[in-house]
Amino acid sequence: MNVKITSTVVIRPDACLVNGEIVLSFQENSDDGWFRQIYRFLQPDYPKFYKMDQLSQAAFLTVELLKKEAGNVLMTSSEESVALIFANRESSSVTDSLFIDSYQRNGSPSPSLFVYTLPNILLGELSIRNKWYGENIFAVFPKFALDYYEKNARILLDDQVTVILCGWVNVTEGKQEILVFTIENEPVDDAWNQLMVQRSGFEFTA
Amino acid sequence: MDELKENLKKQIIEQLNLEEMEVSDIANDAALFSADGVGLDSIDALELIVLLEKHYQISLTNPEEGKKAFYSIDTLSEFIRSRQLQ
Repeated sequence: MNVKITSTVVIRPDACLVNGEIVLSFQENSDDGWFRQIYRFLQPDYPKFYKMDQLSQAAFLTVELLKKEAGNVLMTSSEESVALIFANRESSSVTDSLFIDSYQRNGSPSPSLFVYTLPNILLGELSIRNKWYGENIFAVFPKFALDYYEKNARILLDDQVTVILCGWVNVTEGKQEILVFTIENEPVDDAWNQLMVQRSGFEFTA
Repeated sequence: MDELKENLKKQIIEQLNLEEMEVSDIANDAALFSADGVGLDSIDALELIVLLEKHYQISLTNPEEGKKAFYSIDTLSEFIRSRQLQ
């Protein structure tokens, strides 16, 4: 028996999906970029969003979508009851490049870019926004691995930690792979979680 | 209209990515680092130091000097003017 994936959120270039259903489609004729369109749809009233790098923005938007569309378990959880398990392939490489540019081209390093030159900062952004002060992990892997989330979830879930917020958030130039899902301590057979990820609408690139 | 203060507000909005803020939203005497004022944080303070160097060729090395200068747009413009006279 396994721990259970209970909800999924995916941001693709063409749409946002919650539990496999499209909740927002990209508007080609909008003046706003895709992330700004999602932000305006959500109306979270959080100006700090604009200071974040793309990686943190992606994670922020996905979790806000989850809270809006399927987030009952997250909305009622206490500070210590949500643990975060995230991973990606490219670390914070886009922001790293922008930071290098800031001192090579502009002559002075940008402090506001520097703070995002580690991918796990997105966990900090999620924690600050939602007041989640439980355990958090960020790993850099060559590919998405469902058992990484399942194994760590089994370790962390107990009487106090009741939901694991998991994410694969990978941003490179012109390409994004964004999947967030919740795991809870309900027994389920192994096939369920594979099916939930398949049905989420997430497009695997590796 | 004080051109230096207007320019400072535009530069701060741009450099600090204050996307949903307009020049008219920043009062000259509003506390820059107060939640009741403009609500800047410690990283924004570092960006202001970079801004002073980039736009006004002013190096800020004394933290106490910075604390006073960065209180508001009024104090920041006073600081810039006094440094430019030196």
